[in-house]
Amino acid sequence: MRRRFRIPWLLIITILVFVFLFAPILLVVLFSFNKTASLTFPFHGFTLRWYREVLSSPTFISSIWASVRVGLITVALTVVIGTLAALAVTRYSFPGRRALRTFLLLPAALPGLFMGMALLSVFSVAQVRLSLWTVTAGHLVYVLPYFFLVASTRLDRFDFLLEESARDLGAGPWTTLRRVTLPIIGPSLIAGALVAFSLSWDEVMITYFTIGNENTLPLVIYSTVKQSIDPSVNAVSTLLLLGSLIFLVGARRFVADLQQ
Amino acid sequence: MPAASTAAALGGNRSARRRRRLTIVVLLAPALVIVGGALLIPTLNLLVQSFAQSLGYGQIGYDFTLSNYTSVLTDPLYRSLAMRSFGLGAVTGVACLVLAYPVAFYVSFRLRRGRNLALYLVVLSLFASYLVRLYAWYTVLGTRGMINGALMSLGIVDQPISIILFNRFSLFIAFVNIFLPFSILMLTSTMQNIPREIIDSAHDLGAGPVKTFTRVVLPLTMTGLIGAFAYTFILTSGDYITPALLGGASANTALANTITDQLLTQGNPPTGAAISFVMLVVFFVVYYLVGQLERFKGI
Repeated sequence: MRRRFRIPWLLIITILVFVFLFAPILLVVLFSFNKTASLTFPFHGFTLRWYREVLSSPTFISSIWASVRVGLITVALTVVIGTLAALAVTRYSFPGRRALRTFLLLPAALPGLFMGMALLSVFSVAQVRLSLWTVTAGHLVYVLPYFFLVASTRLDRFDFLLEESARDLGAGPWTTLRRVTLPIIGPSLIAGALVAFSLSWDEVMITYFTIGNENTLPLVIYSTVKQSIDPSVNAVSTLLLLGSLIFLVGARRFVADLQQ
Repeated sequence: MPAASTAAALGGNRSARRRRRLTIVVLLAPALVIVGGALLIPTLNLLVQSFAQSLGYGQIGYDFTLSNYTSVLTDPLYRSLAMRSFGLGAVTGVACLVLAYPVAFYVSFRLRRGRNLALYLVVLSLFASYLVRLYAWYTVLGTRGMINGALMSLGIVDQPISIILFNRFSLFIAFVNIFLPFSILMLTSTMQNIPREIIDSAHDLGAGPVKTFTRVVLPLTMTGLIGAFAYTFILTSGDYITPALLGGASANTALANTITDQLLTQGNPPTGAAISFVMLVVFFVVYYLVGQLERFKGI
């Protein structure tokens, strides 16, 4: 029997889907270098003019700093709080442990719209002035479940007998944490922290409700697009994209951890 | 839980047990404060407001009333908006499954060396900024966008056509683009849990590729299909940024936008809160059904 040639449908669909996923982003990046203000083909040639424009605009610069600040504070708090909680639910067994794990993952199951609204309602009742701190509070509850998921799945595979051996050998709790536990789970925690940063960096839905006078980068892009667009929006979008892709560094481990 | 059982065995005396309980509380307290303070209390506050009256300009009168819910549930405008939003969510969910399934299948069963790279790319696109992708579609589909530019320079139309942007089609395209990576990842992870031996034995027992697929692979990936659909459905119908950018001049193109509008522009938090709780009930029904279907599948 001769083998009939079969059209590799699956391969074709897969390639088309990847093109669909990446083409729009690549177009934004490409046109951030366009010489003219036009955003359509033909492409007129390479320039860095739009990046210079962005980097000399006080609005954009201050929003980039605002996003960095919110992101770093969010990540620092998330890593500490999330790791402690993950240690509690993996090292100890206590009644309600499974329910608690679900409860801590709950924010990830709700749309940002709802979380933003709920936060704003409580801020306005408590007369909290909206600022980057209220934004940070929203980001914290939004990224915590993702970090907690990464940390607790990693700790599920961690052999806590190692800690007991260290104790038996005379290490105190602090030394055990620093010399045994953290070096083993560390890479996963770093991956989780990078994920947390890129989630915060890109967040719009909750931020829109909790923002005060100072804007974050995504909100500046959002309000600019609503007024008028030119390649400087592409340039600043490319910067936003680069920031999200910091995650790229940690992505491999993130994929590997979640596949376990 | 080797450590836990050892600890329990050692924790015979009371002070050790008390110290252990204290440790658990201290470890959990910050997380509980965050989720409780920034999610639970705000949600309860919103629930209370949904039963209060709006006094205009964002002022709220706290006398119990059901009028927000009755007006939301009886108003034909809200009903048609809800149908549109949830309809779009469902269509997007199905479209994501249809596109993600072959990709996930190819990645899990046909790729060997390239599998991690492919998954890496999917995760990359998941984290490549949500807002940048929306903006990208804005520049592709817009009045001065690439499709219009191409049509005009080819002489097919001489005026930019506006039917591509600012309607439900543009929303649909953008939503699929945004939520597709998630569906692919979820389906891939369920497919990778299928033991190869099961598929091999189906072949050995004489099942052709079609029968193996419909009787073995498809039922085993049901969990992933249902989960990915539910997630896409909920996030699509709860999204208000995409409709605000790509949905047209009037903000009332989606239920989610009506909510933000009531809250931020109309100064009517109680109505906004009531709509969002109706929406939340729909989401919980979806989650509940997902749970039921998974249990049913498990029998």
